Amino acid sequence: MDTIDEKSQSGISRRDMLRILGGVAAANGLGAAMWGALELMVPAATAETWHKSVCRYCGTGCGVLIGMRDGRVTDIRGDELAHNKGVICIKGSMLRELPYVKGRLTQPKIRRNGHLVEATWDEAMDLVAQKFKEAIAASGPDAVAFYGSGQLFSEESYTANKLFKAGMRTNNVDANARLCMASAAGGYTQVYGKDEPPGSYEDIDHADCIFLIGANPFECHPPLFERVQQRRRASKTCQLIVVDPRRTRTAELADMHLAPVPGTDLLLLNAMAQVICEDGLLDTAFIEKHVRFSDGQNTVDLAAFKAFLEQYKPEAVAAELGMAAPQIREVAFLFARSQATMSLWTMGINQRTQGVFLNNMLNALHLITGHIGRPGATPFSFTGQTNACGGVRDTGSLSHLLPAGHLVANEQHRREVEQLWGVPPGTISEKPGLDAVNLFRAMEDGRVQAALVMCTNPAQSLPAADRYRAGMEKCFLAVADIFEDSETARLADVVLPAALWIEKEGCTGQGERRYQLTEKLLDPPGQARSDLHILVDLADRLGHGALIKARTPPDVWDEWRHFSASSLYNFQGMTYERLKQARGLQWPCPDEHHPGTVRRYVEGDDPFVTTGSGIEFYGQPDKKAVVFLRPYVPSPERTSEAFPFYLTTGRVLEQWHTSTMTGRIAELAQASGDAEIEINAHDAWKLKVATGDTVEITSRYGALQGKARVTSSPREGVVFTTFHDAKLLINRVVSDHVDPVSKEPEYKVTAVSLRKVVV
Amino acid sequence: METVTLVRVLGTVICFTGMALCWYMRRTRFNALSSEKEVSVANVRLTQSAFWKLLAFVGIVLVPLAAIGLANYHTLEGTHKVSACASCHIMRPMVNDMQKAASNTLAARHFKNHWIPQNQCYECHSDYGLNGNLQAKMEGYRHLARYTTRTYQEPIKIRGHFNNENCLKCHQGMPLFEAVKSHQSVRVLLDQSSMSCLNCHGQAHPSRAQRTPGSADYTKLMEAVR
Repeated sequence: MDTIDEKSQSGISRRDMLRILGGVAAANGLGAAMWGALELMVPAATAETWHKSVCRYCGTGCGVLIGMRDGRVTDIRGDELAHNKGVICIKGSMLRELPYVKGRLTQPKIRRNGHLVEATWDEAMDLVAQKFKEAIAASGPDAVAFYGSGQLFSEESYTANKLFKAGMRTNNVDANARLCMASAAGGYTQVYGKDEPPGSYEDIDHADCIFLIGANPFECHPPLFERVQQRRRASKTCQLIVVDPRRTRTAELADMHLAPVPGTDLLLLNAMAQVICEDGLLDTAFIEKHVRFSDGQNTVDLAAFKAFLEQYKPEAVAAELGMAAPQIREVAFLFARSQATMSLWTMGINQRTQGVFLNNMLNALHLITGHIGRPGATPFSFTGQTNACGGVRDTGSLSHLLPAGHLVANEQHRREVEQLWGVPPGTISEKPGLDAVNLFRAMEDGRVQAALVMCTNPAQSLPAADRYRAGMEKCFLAVADIFEDSETARLADVVLPAALWIEKEGCTGQGERRYQLTEKLLDPPGQARSDLHILVDLADRLGHGALIKARTPPDVWDEWRHFSASSLYNFQGMTYERLKQARGLQWPCPDEHHPGTVRRYVEGDDPFVTTGSGIEFYGQPDKKAVVFLRPYVPSPERTSEAFPFYLTTGRVLEQWHTSTMTGRIAELAQASGDAEIEINAHDAWKLKVATGDTVEITSRYGALQGKARVTSSPREGVVFTTFHDAKLLINRVVSDHVDPVSKEPEYKVTAVSLRKVVV
Repeated sequence: METVTLVRVLGTVICFTGMALCWYMRRTRFNALSSEKEVSVANVRLTQSAFWKLLAFVGIVLVPLAAIGLANYHTLEGTHKVSACASCHIMRPMVNDMQKAASNTLAARHFKNHWIPQNQCYECHSDYGLNGNLQAKMEGYRHLARYTTRTYQEPIKIRGHFNNENCLKCHQGMPLFEAVKSHQSVRVLLDQSSMSCLNCHGQAHPSRAQRTPGSADYTKLMEAVR
């Protein structure tokens, strides 16, 4: 072979060597090409870009990731870096459809001869301004009103509050948050001197006993209930106690379910406190250091508290409560003796004529047992709307409040706010405005002649709705809404097309004092504008343009942020830049380097607690939280021969509130179905009603007919209906008694009668 | 004996045999081989030339082919195992979390409750059928390439999106699944994987924040479960 001559000493020719190297290179090249090809073969994704945002619906305030392609929302995921750890619910998952639902209002309209007729923004806003001016000229500033929402951005509520209270000089500024959170806010403020819960969602991860009363988070706050379930999976000793007249989806999963007669559960809380005192389950050291007792007027002592509770011994109250005394004793023991007890509640407690008292007592149970200020030990009121806490409670957009916990009735507070707003002393009226129910009553009798309603649907959500619907028809009503066929827009004289969710920019504050930024990702349809834009425009037309200097969301936020620095609601450190990066921040957060506060009133976490004090309830002058002696007063809606059943209302997993948004999303509507009247099987047997029969439900406020569903869920003598369905507008029947302190209506207890309708 | 062990032993034996053959043949000059002299192997008699050619064929062709075949078989079979995934340290946070009794991520719950008895990583991360298998293997190859060339960044993130089919292949049709009304109304979205099951049902693995080196949880996640 001729190559033999060319062989090197190693025995391999140069050519062979090149061939071998070439082969090796080719093999490597093939491998690299395969890798390259695999890198290019990216599985089809649902979106091109992902944007951090916040869910539009409830007060859980879940972080979501919005997936977009070609300028459209194509997917929604839970944000695993947000507090909800990636968990959202079916409503949140269907947010992708929300910006594209049919029937959006895209142009202002004015009612002429009973019909809404298209108009320009100028025509519509001129008419609104003119009607407001006329009303003020004729009957003074209190003839106008603003009715806002726990779904407006904080920037919007803050601006509306300022425009009406310091511009138009009326305190007639209230919001739908009055219908859901007022009792919780009242309860916290009375006990700690400051509103908003001391704890965080994170406490669920450490709780050893979860006392859930008047809440159904399985359906109303699913990501939070999943967190409860995760805690129970992690800790086999963690007990879930559910108190609810219905066997809800939540109650089905509880370790213990107590079903009280609607309207009686202050008896349960007082009886639990009695057992805790009697059995020596009090944390006396904690009480000594951090608690003051009060009968509502004067400071009393622990002995007086114990004496007051004597009348609430379990054996004495069990029959009225519809429970057994040993059950009450067991719950009290579990509550007091667990390593860390967390109470969770919502509307079952808040929407009551004794709502504030119930809130007082729930906080009291934690204070007398020392279950507060430790991981897992806290009294926590869940909230219903995205921005009821941040937007309405914190900005003080209620008729008796001013921003950051200031009170209308307190002259010193008014002076402080006037100074911060740069208006002359005496600008803000000393007269608290009208709360929601009284506001709509004032429309009825002509005291309020012109009102602006934003981002809410009172014609469906107010109790005894027929009465207030009539008032709304009488009043000049400008409604900023996303649809013109919502129950409220149907009664409007002017409808203003509003931008929705990610069609505008702003901040929301959810249930655990966490402020989050929603950035603008889409343009609003047609001529729709943000509510802030509408408010600024109205301010200009009414001659208050100089007062409303901040006109964009970042500017309003900065003004409000600096305002808060004067108070213990301080969140000055939360700039837009920080909120663009962070998955929300919890106040207090006084400077830009502060990480936010998980547990309020706790040293090392809350910046306002004095060093060395451990826990300090600094909202009260003596730095002690107050335990009130709160007597049980039966609901005015007690059952009688004429109205032998209790009606209680609630929500269903797939629909949110009055379903104006969720009801238009086919997947959700299909899953929830229409509202039905749920009747206990035993009652149904006595009434000879079967599932699917038509029944008439009558109360002192109205009557309506709907389909019956026989179930074991509500206890005997209780009827339940969800309030989402305008076709079965149950709020026509619901009572409008209000809590004397919070003015929140008692949606949860109405005496009704039932009758089978033979069709 | 487990298949994998058997394959390993066989592979090693074949490998050594091949090496011995190569070494032996290096000393052989085929030109000088006689085509008349006979060699007897067991009860077969061959000419010396034929014997060595046959041996060369076995050494150069058959043994490497068998080795490649077995090695690939070993790789393809072995990568079903959780231990295969755990062999790269970037997967350890996921695997350790899954095997930790105290964890309640979806992976951990499926593991500790024996909802998936074996090959847990592979069961959820390979799509249905042969195509799914091939895709999973190719993805595994890509991981290997990335890992060995150190061209990755922690925390790692799934490419594209997780195929719901891997949840539905077990859950669909089950009474608990079918009883949920919203499962019915969003079935199409679930089938297309355009809505993630994880939205409502929570974290499958520790979050990216927990898996970031330097975070408080990272060190804990890297500790092997005993």
